[in-house]
Amino acid sequence: MYARWVLTALLAWPLLAGLIVLLLPARLAKYVALAASLVEFVISVPLWWTFVPSGGMQFLVDRAWIPAWGIHFTVGVDGISLFLVLLTTFLIPLSILGSWTYITKREAGFYALLLVLTTGMIGVFVALDLFLFYVMWEVMLIPMYFIIGVWGGDNRLYAAIKFFIYTFLGSLLMLVAIIVLYLHAGRATGAYSFGYAHLLSNAKDLGPAAWWLFGAFFLAFAIKVPIFPLHTWLPDAHVEAPTAGSVILAGILLKMGTYGFLRFALPFFPAVALNQNVQLVIVVLSLIGIIYGGLVAMVQPDFKKLVAYSSVAHLGFAMLGIWALTLQSVQGALLIMINHGISTGALFFLVGMLYERRHSRLIEAYGGIARVVPLFAAILTIVSLSSIALPGTNGFVGEFLVLLGSFRTYPIATTLATSGVIIAAAYLLTALQRVIYNPLKNPENEHLTDLTPRELAVLIPLLVGILWLGIYPKPFLQRMEPAARSLIEQVRPSAASTAGQP
Amino acid sequence: MSLDPAVYGDLLLSLLPELVLTGWALVLLLFVAWRHRTARDLRIAGWLTLVALLSTAIAVWWLWWNRATLGPGLVAMVAADDFRWVADWVFLGAAALTVLISFAYLEREQLLIPEYYVLVIFATLGMMVMAAGADLMVIFLGLELMSVAVYVLAGLDRRRARSAEAALKYFLLGAFASGFLLYGIALAYGATGTTNLGLIGGQVGIMGKPSVMLLAGLALLIVGFAFKIAAVPFHMWAPDVYDGSPTPVTAFMATGVKAAAFAALFRVLNQAFAPVAAWHDILWWLAVVTMIGGNLFALGQRSLKRMLAYSSVAHAGYLLVAVTAGGAAGTSAFLVYVIAYTLMSLGAFAVLSAKGRAGESDVLIDDLAGLASQRPWLAFALAVCMLSLLGFPGTAGFIGKWYILIAATSAGQNTLAAILVLTSAVSAGYYLPVIMAMYMKPPAVEAAHRDVYLDRWGRIAVAVVVVGLLLFGVWPNRLFDLAKSAGNSVHATTATAATPP
Repeated sequence: MYARWVLTALLAWPLLAGLIVLLLPARLAKYVALAASLVEFVISVPLWWTFVPSGGMQFLVDRAWIPAWGIHFTVGVDGISLFLVLLTTFLIPLSILGSWTYITKREAGFYALLLVLTTGMIGVFVALDLFLFYVMWEVMLIPMYFIIGVWGGDNRLYAAIKFFIYTFLGSLLMLVAIIVLYLHAGRATGAYSFGYAHLLSNAKDLGPAAWWLFGAFFLAFAIKVPIFPLHTWLPDAHVEAPTAGSVILAGILLKMGTYGFLRFALPFFPAVALNQNVQLVIVVLSLIGIIYGGLVAMVQPDFKKLVAYSSVAHLGFAMLGIWALTLQSVQGALLIMINHGISTGALFFLVGMLYERRHSRLIEAYGGIARVVPLFAAILTIVSLSSIALPGTNGFVGEFLVLLGSFRTYPIATTLATSGVIIAAAYLLTALQRVIYNPLKNPENEHLTDLTPRELAVLIPLLVGILWLGIYPKPFLQRMEPAARSLIEQVRPSAASTAGQP
Repeated sequence: MSLDPAVYGDLLLSLLPELVLTGWALVLLLFVAWRHRTARDLRIAGWLTLVALLSTAIAVWWLWWNRATLGPGLVAMVAADDFRWVADWVFLGAAALTVLISFAYLEREQLLIPEYYVLVIFATLGMMVMAAGADLMVIFLGLELMSVAVYVLAGLDRRRARSAEAALKYFLLGAFASGFLLYGIALAYGATGTTNLGLIGGQVGIMGKPSVMLLAGLALLIVGFAFKIAAVPFHMWAPDVYDGSPTPVTAFMATGVKAAAFAALFRVLNQAFAPVAAWHDILWWLAVVTMIGGNLFALGQRSLKRMLAYSSVAHAGYLLVAVTAGGAAGTSAFLVYVIAYTLMSLGAFAVLSAKGRAGESDVLIDDLAGLASQRPWLAFALAVCMLSLLGFPGTAGFIGKWYILIAATSAGQNTLAAILVLTSAVSAGYYLPVIMAMYMKPPAVEAAHRDVYLDRWGRIAVAVVVVGLLLFGVWPNRLFDLAKSAGNSVHATTATAATPP
């Protein structure tokens, strides 16, 4: 029973709750939104147990939507999307709780948009019809655009429109590519459908068109990831967005890009994706992302911008892992996607909490605050260490697996990528030192208040995640392994036999 | 129901909607001849117009429901097919929405001219004749009937220089365009010996390689239509005319007039010139230049009304893609897009007419700052219209664009499809600032939007638009069925089109 309604409920409930939030008095907005998002989380939790790792696509729902064109409402979850769905439902209540005092104007609108955004994000991860996927992909743009544009920082209008146009431009070409695939499959089989399985099994014999189609998908996903040099929207959007916006942007929206590569770009066009030159370009761009992102993060005076650039570096690791296409590297990439959501999400929350107290994000405005706010300092340290990928934290497991798995495919690139870990240590530890250690110079910092119980309630679940994934990632790996394996078998039949156990 | 063109009764029946509307126009003319002084007279004329439009729509529905077709026999001057009925509904709907937003506007701007409504009816009648025409002469008659009425409407606000300028400009260039069209008709007649679309098509098919005279005629016809639909580089009149005319008239011009010209163009190209390959290339370039030009010009506008004027040029470009794709799929895509476009464009102009005072050309996009906090519903409506114009999923504008893309790619026009989406991305650069101003900027002064007012009828119009846009955006099935049968109806005779999905 649960399997039949869970995904539909996960999609419909936030939308409905968003409307309810809008209709109720504004002072109730955040309570209702928090309750609604907790309900959403509770609905999603049994996915974890009922999911059968070797079961392929499950929790399938398939309903005709626009039959004239073979458009269906088809949703399902496999080992790749399961964690992204859970990550979404996990981060949303925290984001709402984290915005409790941060958002002071037009609250109802803010929380309603967050809930609508939830529908869009989950929709992207579960859609198994390319029309539905495209609609969801675009639909989540609008709430994010408003969240940045209405509740963002001083430069919010610029950041919002840049974010919108970058993503929109990329996705529009993907739209044309989807239509071309649809017509190709339709002409080959006589059945016109946007269904994922249908298009996947008929995405052969495209000839040179495959290059264009891959390019269109690549652009859409690469902007979202973002891959260097398409990353320039990201620092603006992250810095200007309110805390919850940054958390969701980094935690979930960026994963849509890597998810798109795993779900669509690679399986649809394996020949193009594994072409020597394409591999070279993507690996080099990922490497540039890792190293350049880290180096730029190192010189940021603004803590939030530092975290933003660190995202470019982390996602570079994920891209490297995906393209290396070994079992460990793909699992590692998936883990990085989750870890980054947790660790960077936590970092954004912490920076936001600091900002709420002092209205400054500049690193130099702080220093020595460990004595004033010991709890804050302790948590910031743990989170930073997890972002650096210290063994025992979640970051380590993901990056280690990616490096281990990728070494087999790209030895030189992987060796170079290792330096990214060191760079991460350099910028985060320096920042850590300058913010919470060093002498306490600025008298304004002497009266900072330590974390409130509400803030602890936001951070503790994230800390639990950090340690759980760091110490005992097996349940995660177990659930994602069959999906990762079948992806690799699909894309590179020969690769599966050589891939060993993690 | 098969109608015999040789029987007068049947012929009259096939013209039933036009006859009903003509009858109402005459009644209304009589009415306003002796009641034309007070605002109340104006309102009564408006209601009568709504009744006229509604009864005509019912007549159209009756013919559609009975599947009226003109049987073989005499060569008919008019066509009776689903394409015509759907196009008629679009015109009637555009006219009705225009009337709804005119009530408050005319009274506010002190334009107590009840003849306004008569002219709207006559213009609508002209559009319907254009969509019905199966003969170049009938199409020309319809075009002139529509154009003359709209020339007057554009200059309705005769105390304002801008309105007079718009009317004069529109008249001069429109007359010029009519000249082109007429000369094109003459040349086509010279080459084939007939003005009937079907017979021309037959002649052209026999001819094999088209003669120079025929090609020249075709080129002139396309130029004439390109003026009417405001395709780049024949769009020069559009911004000034749209800008200067009273806003409801602008809305009517941007939707109804454009749709009618497109409908006639579709029929002419697909029924008379289907075997001539040359027009595909001409229209390909016309579409590309119009999409790029319209979007880039719109990007530079600060006045909301001018921006909408240029955006309507851009949308003519998207519609031209549907024409270029041709075939049944192209025709269906055209109809779906035109319905969506009519709704979203009228909605945007309706909100603009509520905001503006004495010449909306002075309403800058930045003047909308803070509208959302003071007039949330109006802002929401305008935001939906903007997103739909942008082609955002969840709105009818997306469905229309999607359909055009499918038609274009299935006709092998992948490049055109790519240009369409890229120029759409550019359009985000001028649609989003409207949303941005309304939602993300504070109002310039405290009471910036105190005098924004939309009366009950205007609100109904906007509500219809928003509901329509969202409904068709999420559940377009019925719309597709309608458009598909209409698309097939035009191509039943030629049947050259690749079968669409």
